[in-house]
Amino acid sequence: MLQSYFKIAIRNLLRNKVYTAINITGLAIGVAACMLIFLYVKDELSYESNFSKADRIVRVAGNIVFDGHKDAFAVTAPPMLSAVREFANVAHATQLANTDKQTIWHKGQVFTEENLLFADSAFFSVFDYELLAGPPATALDAPRKIVLTEKLAQKYFGSVEAAMGQTLKLSRDSYVITGVYRDKGHSHIAASGLLSLATIEPNLPEGAQDQWFNLNRYTYALLTSNNQLAAFQDQLNVLAANKVNPWIKSNKINAVASFIAQPLKDIHFDTRFEHDLTPQGNISYVYIFGAVAVFLLLIASINYMNLATARSAKRAKEVGLRKVVGADRGQIICQFLGESVLLTFIAMMLALALVQIFIPSFNLLTDKQFSSDFFLNREFMAALLAIVLLIGVVAGSYPAFFLSSFKPADVLKSDKQPRSGSATMRKALVILQFSISLIMIIGTIVVFTQMRFLKNADLGFAKEQIMVVDIPVGDTTLINRLSVINQKLLQNPSISNVSNSYSIPGQPLSRALILAEQNGKMEEKTIDVMFVDYDFIPVMGIEMAAGRNYNRNMHTDLNGGVIINEAAARWLGWKDPIGKKVVLSTSALGDSQAKVLGVVKDFNVSSLHAEVQPVLLQLTPQSAGYLLARISPENQPATIQFVEEQWSQFDPKHPMEYFFMDEFFDRQYRAEEKMLTVFGYFSGLTILIACLGLFGLAAFTAEQRTKEIGIRKVLGSSTGSIVLLLSKDFALLVLVAVVLASPIAWYGMSHWLQDYAYRINLSWWIFALAALLALLIAMATVSFQALKAAMLDPVKAIRAQ
Amino acid sequence: MSKEELVIDTQNLQKKYVTDTVETTALAGVDLKIKRGEFVAIMGPSGCGKSTLLNILGMLDSPSSGSFLFLGQEVASMSERQRAKLRKHNLGFVFQSFNLIDELTVEENIALPLAYLGFSKSETEKRTLQAMERMGIAHRRNHFPQQLSGGQQQRAAIARAVVAEPALILADEPTGNLDSVHGREVMQLLSELNEAGTTVVMVTHSPTDAEYAHRVVNLFDGQIVTENLNIKRHAAELL
Repeated sequence: MLQSYFKIAIRNLLRNKVYTAINITGLAIGVAACMLIFLYVKDELSYESNFSKADRIVRVAGNIVFDGHKDAFAVTAPPMLSAVREFANVAHATQLANTDKQTIWHKGQVFTEENLLFADSAFFSVFDYELLAGPPATALDAPRKIVLTEKLAQKYFGSVEAAMGQTLKLSRDSYVITGVYRDKGHSHIAASGLLSLATIEPNLPEGAQDQWFNLNRYTYALLTSNNQLAAFQDQLNVLAANKVNPWIKSNKINAVASFIAQPLKDIHFDTRFEHDLTPQGNISYVYIFGAVAVFLLLIASINYMNLATARSAKRAKEVGLRKVVGADRGQIICQFLGESVLLTFIAMMLALALVQIFIPSFNLLTDKQFSSDFFLNREFMAALLAIVLLIGVVAGSYPAFFLSSFKPADVLKSDKQPRSGSATMRKALVILQFSISLIMIIGTIVVFTQMRFLKNADLGFAKEQIMVVDIPVGDTTLINRLSVINQKLLQNPSISNVSNSYSIPGQPLSRALILAEQNGKMEEKTIDVMFVDYDFIPVMGIEMAAGRNYNRNMHTDLNGGVIINEAAARWLGWKDPIGKKVVLSTSALGDSQAKVLGVVKDFNVSSLHAEVQPVLLQLTPQSAGYLLARISPENQPATIQFVEEQWSQFDPKHPMEYFFMDEFFDRQYRAEEKMLTVFGYFSGLTILIACLGLFGLAAFTAEQRTKEIGIRKVLGSSTGSIVLLLSKDFALLVLVAVVLASPIAWYGMSHWLQDYAYRINLSWWIFALAALLALLIAMATVSFQALKAAMLDPVKAIRAQ
Repeated sequence: MSKEELVIDTQNLQKKYVTDTVETTALAGVDLKIKRGEFVAIMGPSGCGKSTLLNILGMLDSPSSGSFLFLGQEVASMSERQRAKLRKHNLGFVFQSFNLIDELTVEENIALPLAYLGFSKSETEKRTLQAMERMGIAHRRNHFPQQLSGGQQQRAAIARAVVAEPALILADEPTGNLDSVHGREVMQLLSELNEAGTTVVMVTHSPTDAEYAHRVVNLFDGQIVTENLNIKRHAAELL
């Protein structure tokens, strides 16, 4: 019996090639997209799972409420380590600290390493990386020791063995290689090497071991068991209440601190905390991708349902006959379900091939490294077979139940045309398909428009034509001589102005505690600070709203003046800010009282997700991180070359690294850009699959109405009016879909736009454009079939019945 | 006539079709008894209810009221599933338009009833071959229906109807789509089957075909108006 089902299924598929191709292509695209999405989602959800004790590792994060304003940090202060180690349920605890970008001099060559971290000797007790060489317990127990990843060891020394015991010269110090470990990947700790934390411990300012506001350590604890999280949190609460907050009070700071035990596995999607080691994943994208996968499969399944029921008239005789010779309804249902499962299985094989082709592009799109043999494991195979069965049964169920309901007495009469399934049901399904496609199209247009808005928005500074040169850290002699290169660069007429600044837009700012004049008294406030020089404001093209810029000739500006933005003036309630008193508290200089010299117009320091925050621009010409040069758009390559030449004379030790401010700033929108691309591709796919189905349905309708078309033509109807006749029903379906999809898309996309402080309006034209696009594509699809039917010789058309 | 000898026994069989506005009576109280081994032809003008009667006798449709005993069992109140079971064990159908499955070969078409009856592969092959040989189409076993002439298709359809050796064969205008030569061939085959013991009920327009039957039942407006014994056939059998 199975054999007969199988034969019939195969012969049916071969006989109806167009129909088979539509179904298989649609399903294959759907299944392939699903596989890729499955890979992405699984990957996103499996962060930190490579650590065997991941369930027991927590990170201590902190909240500081200051003046009603809450800040949440992924970092804590150095004393957190010893405090946590005293907790009863902590087996081990370790701390990490960030480093700046490091220059490495090796065998006469200069390299840059960005992903080095400081770690203490307990690191390998908490995170079970496999050490390929070196003792885990002591590899990081003393100053100037470094443990490399296998990759880095091979990069510099060719092998693990050759690296051991060697010395590597970094920006500030030379380090002895005391270990090599294998990176596990898939962790927020994406270090390429670990420097011993003991190296920088002596550099801490005096009394820093009790300094609870020195937020520069990532603190991790390995709990004794995985049910100790609540108990650990309790102990953190006790620590905050009994030790940290009393310390804050004793220092007369008006703030309250609390700590949060963050399970290791939650870190990847937990966006609450600032200053994390690596950028967070976005759980919304996981949901969106998942939804898109379901949508694609649904649309492809609907094609199958619609085409199968539309064509059911052709299978009616077979059903009737099988019933006559003894088949019961269950057997017929099984047969048709079997057919849809078979079709899905063929589609799945094709999908596997498609995935092989597209996996490199998908890797590029998602910044992941999926290998093309991902499916060669039992888990995936089982999931795949389950999906095939699921789609087969879902897509096949409606046709199966419908077809099996035929009464033999009805369908076996030669003079009676059996029904072709419920046209209403088919229309409803087409509307559903187009609604989904429209939601995707509207989403794509909205994301695209918002992206264009973000990139072209007036940021309050001129981000174009600013070349930014990275000044190597730790080389104070270089920084002291910066005026030399500044002068050299200004000799080039293409360079209009140069600044040496520590902070630039697009980078997280430091937050500082200040005293600000409030009704004649000085009150504590925290504010974001940018460390700038005399030329920062003109080079950036930031406009003054009141007062003046810093002036080299006014010596009191250096410690006695500050510039704030309009938001800061508003926030501090200053109607006339010029001359207001501010006390800057910096550990290096001690407290220094300053007056407001000027107010700059608001400019966006960070992405347009956030509103402009109060910012204080502090004059610190001695601490430069970047050289900013405003260059003219003409002869740009020549100007860049000029800067490079000047730099190589100025600093022969470091290779010059540069970027452009606009690109750097727009990098903050990479997640959105990726989402736009993904959305674009997938909405293209949904509309493609939906149109495949529409193409099939249009062919069916044209075939079914052949006689009508013939009679109309005999009576004098034109080809155009027949095309219109056949197309208008489909156009109506698309229009209904527009009505259904628009509010849903509006709701979803307004929700998405909530993430931006600066955003586009969801104007009517977005919806109109999407509707027009969908309508055009649908009509192009349908009119091909309609035209074919309309051009048929009327005699043939009539005879066909 | 004892009850056991009856293959079909209907009393006051009625069938009404009801649409939104119209009620059509297709059968208005049919009493029909058919004995085992009989060959009965049902005749009458178009729309008189012949096909409806045949569908009910073939358990493809159920009556609106009345009683229908098949081999002594009441069928009128049976579920679709029970009827399907009874059908596949006892009935064979021959249609005017042959109704072979286009996607299956002649042999596969003929073997289909055996598959639903759960016959073994070897038994299926044996019986299918016998049926094909009996109908003279064994040489066409691997052809698809469209590759055969009408007569060959109907022979394949008859082979399918008899392959499971049913007690009753129902034929709905079996020669309606055939020329006279092929029509005669088909009637000859049905006649031979009947002589071998199979009960045959046939709906026909053709008086020539009706001559092969023992008895002709004339239907008009859903009622049996006359029943004629076919003297020629009875005489032939008596001789």
